[in-house]
Amino acid sequence: MQQLLSTTLTGLTLGMVYAAFALALVLIWRSTRIVNFAQAPMAMVTTLVALQVIDAGAPYWVGFLVALVSGLVLGAVVERVLVRPVEGKAEINAVILTLGLFIVLHAVAGLVFGNDYQSFPAPFGLSGFRVGDLNVALTGFGIFTIVIVLVVMAALAALFRFTDLGLRMRAAAFNPEVSRLLGVPVGRMLTIGWALAAVVGSLAGLLIAGGSLVYPSYMDSVVVFGFVAAVLGGLDSPVGAVVGGLLLGLALSYVSGYLGAQLVTLASLVILMLVLTLRPGGLFSSASARRV
Amino acid sequence: MRSMTGWPKVATTAVAVTAVGALLAGCGGSRPSDGGGSSDPGITDSTIKVGAHFPLTGVAAPGYSEIPTGAKAYFDYVNANGGVDGRKIDYTYRDDGYNPTNTSSVTNELVLKDNIFAMVGGLGTPTHSAVVDFLNQQKVPDLFVSSGALAWGDDPDEHPYTFGWQPDYEIEGKIIGQWVKENMPDAKVGLFLQDDDLGRDSEKGVRQYLDDQIVATARYTSGNTDVAPQVSSLASKGADLVLSFNTPSYTALTQLTAQKLNFTPQWFYSNIGSDPALVGSLLSRFSEGAVKGTNSALDGVLTTEYIPGVDAADNPWVKLWQKVWDENGGDGELTNYRIYGMSEAYAFVQALKDAGPDPTREGLVKAMEEDMADSDGPQLAPFRYSEDSHFGISGMQIVRLKGGKSEPVTKVLTTDVGDADIDEDDSGQADDAPPSSGIPDKS
Repeated sequence: MQQLLSTTLTGLTLGMVYAAFALALVLIWRSTRIVNFAQAPMAMVTTLVALQVIDAGAPYWVGFLVALVSGLVLGAVVERVLVRPVEGKAEINAVILTLGLFIVLHAVAGLVFGNDYQSFPAPFGLSGFRVGDLNVALTGFGIFTIVIVLVVMAALAALFRFTDLGLRMRAAAFNPEVSRLLGVPVGRMLTIGWALAAVVGSLAGLLIAGGSLVYPSYMDSVVVFGFVAAVLGGLDSPVGAVVGGLLLGLALSYVSGYLGAQLVTLASLVILMLVLTLRPGGLFSSASARRV
Repeated sequence: MRSMTGWPKVATTAVAVTAVGALLAGCGGSRPSDGGGSSDPGITDSTIKVGAHFPLTGVAAPGYSEIPTGAKAYFDYVNANGGVDGRKIDYTYRDDGYNPTNTSSVTNELVLKDNIFAMVGGLGTPTHSAVVDFLNQQKVPDLFVSSGALAWGDDPDEHPYTFGWQPDYEIEGKIIGQWVKENMPDAKVGLFLQDDDLGRDSEKGVRQYLDDQIVATARYTSGNTDVAPQVSSLASKGADLVLSFNTPSYTALTQLTAQKLNFTPQWFYSNIGSDPALVGSLLSRFSEGAVKGTNSALDGVLTTEYIPGVDAADNPWVKLWQKVWDENGGDGELTNYRIYGMSEAYAFVQALKDAGPDPTREGLVKAMEEDMADSDGPQLAPFRYSEDSHFGISGMQIVRLKGGKSEPVTKVLTTDVGDADIDEDDSGQADDAPPSSGIPDKS
């Protein structure tokens, strides 16, 4: 009973982190139709920037804010400087570009911040709660993670569904030519999409880092799991990304706890294959007609 | 027309010649020595080249990346004092990121391009496993592998050039197992094991004594940093003493996870995962002082020790290491990992001296087997090197950590793999001191 509870709750927290990362992938997919593999190292860079700020004596929340703002700037700069030249070309160009950026950011982070493991502070306690004899393996930071991911999900869903900006972003990504004719500033929409996605990515980075260890490749496994979560949810739907993240987090936690830690990556592959075979568009797909 | 058909022929010939030439050059570089005198690669009248692979980046880098800086400082110290029989030691270490594929390529470079005379202290079980056959085929002495796996010492016929260094994980498991059985007979023991040779060899030793007392076994995969399911299974089965055989980052991760689960057993970390300074620095930033800062992070934890560490500042060996680091070290403080590297470097200089004024690769291996077992050195228990065994240090003592220092719980205990008895060491190895020069004499 105790183990089931602990395994479930840690899976839940972990799933929320995958969800945050999947949200960033969904955001950039909906607003630019690109899968950004460099999302993880971008988040790593902003998290390490936050650590520098905190180390310099600033409070945690200042570091938190700095990470989000630098994510915004980094996303916009990457889009303007690197991605813009390949936009409108074959889709594979942009994908290869983000893979290259993945490697470059890793190397640069190693040079600038060093390759050492460092602990990253958390704003809330790291002990679990106790209810009578039962230990509830949910920390203050874990609750914060769950709440903030749900808030971001709601905000993104609202952005795409209820605002002009969201509509324009979707239009610009979906059909740049027609959007341009209708007066949508496509270039600006793409920049905003990248910038917002990088902010959500940075948030995921901070949530994973809090109360744990960071180093240049600490986000790498999250790339894989976040991607699986996003595909699970259909790459198109913020709600789907969160549900996908949760399902994945729980499934992997059970596999690790009851079958063996060595099967975790294998299990995520099996889940990915099952979803792609049974529901290629993801559990929450609504846009199969759009696929190219 | 003739010229059009003729051209490809010329080109083919040119390509063939180039290819054969490259092949020959390759063979020249990799030609194994025949063991004959000064023709061995990597040694001249004035220098001797040695190399090693270490994780300078990645999951195993914390702590371990400091080992080669310690070894280098000691070699520089020896060089500054005239070298070994007039030869300066030229030490090259390369980053393999704890990835066996990289280990193969950097070892190829070290052996075929840098032409090292010997490998000294190459680190890691999965990593070194990838190159141990290659080194033996090339007849490159492969001394003091920085890992406690059994594979380095148990079969000298299969790997005649390879020698272990630290007490292997099996004897560490045995020594811990017997102590727990005698001193904590009612403890419900949980095992937390890295899912590779480290966990397997240690478990084999522990189970010789504790099979009945073990209530739970959890295995983690290195690289997966979420250990909550594992720690939670130990907690739910009621373990009140956890024997942990893991790398340092996982010591920090288990402490954090246990806090989340409100799991408070007695922790017993094996030597490789228990450096208080490193684990303390990994845990230093956590909020609200919930995890105690730096050195006291592991207070009350049990572990083992086989060479004196930085906390024993008055130990004559540690005084030597401090002097070496002050004179020849780079940035940063003297740490236990740097001492580990210096201790390996010291043993190498000893073996080189024992191999005589004109060492060959064969001669070095012979000296290791014949002269090293009773040599002085920082190790608390003697080496086990002989023709039949290439295992390193034969024992260790159990200690309790307090404020970053270790307090002895037992005397130095020695044993060997299999069902060899565990005895208190009576060789006096722990009481020797370095010569005043700080450089070993021929034994």
